[in-house]
Amino acid sequence: MIEARDISVAIGGKRIVSHVHFAARPGEVSAIVGPNGSGKTTLLKALTGELAYSGTVTLNGRDLSAMKPVETATLRAVLPQSTALSFPFTVREIVRLGLVGGRSGVLPGEDARLPERALARVDLDGFAGRFYQELSGGEQQRVQLARVLCQVWSPVLEGRPRYLFLDEPVSSLDVKHQLIIMNIARDFARRGGGVVAILHDLNLTAMYADRIFVLHRGELAAAGSPQDVLKDELIEKVFDCRLKVGALPAGSVPFVLPQSAA
Amino acid sequence: MAEQSIAGAAGRVMTADGDRSARARFVILLLGLALALSVFLSLTSGASDASAVRVIRDWFTGAVPVDAALAARDQLIVYDIRMPRVLFGVLIGAALAVCGAVMQGLFRNPLADPGLIGVSAGASLGAVAIIVLGTTWLAPVTLALGTLALPLAAFSGGLAVTFWLYAIATRQGRTSVATMLLAGIAISALAMALTGVLIFMADDRQLRDLTFWQLGSLAGATWPKIGTIGPVIVLALSAMPFLSRGLNALALGEATAGHLGTPVQRLKYTAIVGVSAAVGASVAVSGGIGFIGIVVPHVLRLAIGPDNRYLLPASALLGASLLLIADAVARTIVAPAELPIGIVTAVAGAPFFLWILLRRRGIVDL
Repeated sequence: MIEARDISVAIGGKRIVSHVHFAARPGEVSAIVGPNGSGKTTLLKALTGELAYSGTVTLNGRDLSAMKPVETATLRAVLPQSTALSFPFTVREIVRLGLVGGRSGVLPGEDARLPERALARVDLDGFAGRFYQELSGGEQQRVQLARVLCQVWSPVLEGRPRYLFLDEPVSSLDVKHQLIIMNIARDFARRGGGVVAILHDLNLTAMYADRIFVLHRGELAAAGSPQDVLKDELIEKVFDCRLKVGALPAGSVPFVLPQSAA
Repeated sequence: MAEQSIAGAAGRVMTADGDRSARARFVILLLGLALALSVFLSLTSGASDASAVRVIRDWFTGAVPVDAALAARDQLIVYDIRMPRVLFGVLIGAALAVCGAVMQGLFRNPLADPGLIGVSAGASLGAVAIIVLGTTWLAPVTLALGTLALPLAAFSGGLAVTFWLYAIATRQGRTSVATMLLAGIAISALAMALTGVLIFMADDRQLRDLTFWQLGSLAGATWPKIGTIGPVIVLALSAMPFLSRGLNALALGEATAGHLGTPVQRLKYTAIVGVSAAVGASVAVSGGIGFIGIVVPHVLRLAIGPDNRYLLPASALLGASLLLIADAVARTIVAPAELPIGIVTAVAGAPFFLWILLRRRGIVDL
């Protein structure tokens, strides 16, 4: 379990996140939502130890600030919003980097083929020999996800749950791949791991999240199940936009929801 | 064969499965053979007709040479002139190329070189100070250290500037490579200004000395100097393979490298200390030898990819070979005089580098 108590983060004297309580349980997908600039990525960076914070973060009961990089790397993997490269790595070489510090959890002999399996998982079969820099933004994002999956391939290692941190994992993807990626996240949770994801699409969030944390101006505005959190008043207050939950468009305007996927 | 034609048609896919490690190991083997050949050629060629083969054969077989005086001369040339010079070339060529590759990995920029962390400017200042002030203000130093005064001053100068820069760029235990890069420009400019003041004070003979020092040469190779810089370079370079996985992870950015389990701050510290020691030692005894540190890793990245587990050893081998070849050219092309080796590496390296860049332009962005 990941527990964060009273997390505050200030960058350059400006407070971005204030007194946020957060908990992500193994077996669940926990979504962080909120408008632009509400502190979602900053909170995620505090939870992964990338930014200095006040408060406490524990990872399976251990204080994050007392753990070494190699220890945290075996317990959780982090997918950033985007990753730019300065050298011509092939896709396979990038995915393989996921095996550098962590422990995939598969048998030693299987590690060698893990990059190919991870690429197949994110629907990039046959991309191993391509150069990363030649891929589209959405493809690059999926290569990075394959790398992250290699790092914590088994959601549970030696009886302890492991975690995926995903910062907008589907933001640059088409709808088919949004569903593929979210299914990977849900599957990771079903098999005993924990997932923390920043999401923008409220419909996908409602569909996949077990628990939603809503950030508004750096503070926690609400937390709970999709049914409890996604209410008209909260959405209007947080997103400054009058929307109705569950309302159908008037007349014959078509609409397509991810929930309708067969 | 099918795999090759696909690669040829696309002009970009190295191997179908994106795994270049087998190719990299093969290239490293070839480079090892090339280095052995370069060492042999360097030992056997030169302004004199001394035969290294004969000297070594006599030494092994214990044969008594027919002409004792000639044999003694040959032995002197091979043991005391060519051998230290070849060792110098191997050590310095490997150091410059590996340090270039490490700097490029650390700064995540294929154009980075050790000059960015101030080591070259600092070493230059130290060397020029000894050349110009060695008979006046710094006379006690030159008296005490003799011929080692110049290399030691250059080495300390390089190390001092790098540690100063490191201290400036480090806040709360984190070193900002961006700050280091920018502060490095300022501090290098300062060191060059001080060097300029010394050049202004120099007389004609000193001017000639320091111009030649700046152009670079392996001519100063002696066994005592190898005893001084050899251990420094060998120690620094033997730490580098331990950085290769971390440098690979660093290609994804510092934060991601940390998430992958890399101790990023320790990696930066080790890389900076190792590079400043190895390059400081190299510059101290050979002066300014350019282009090896940029061209060698760049060419190898095109051939075997940017994986530092292979790039670093391959750079060491290719850097050593190229410097030996450049040195062989430098000491034979205008024999019995010799050209500063920095001129050879620049004349050969710069157009080659341009050609590589223009040929690959549009396929892979650097």
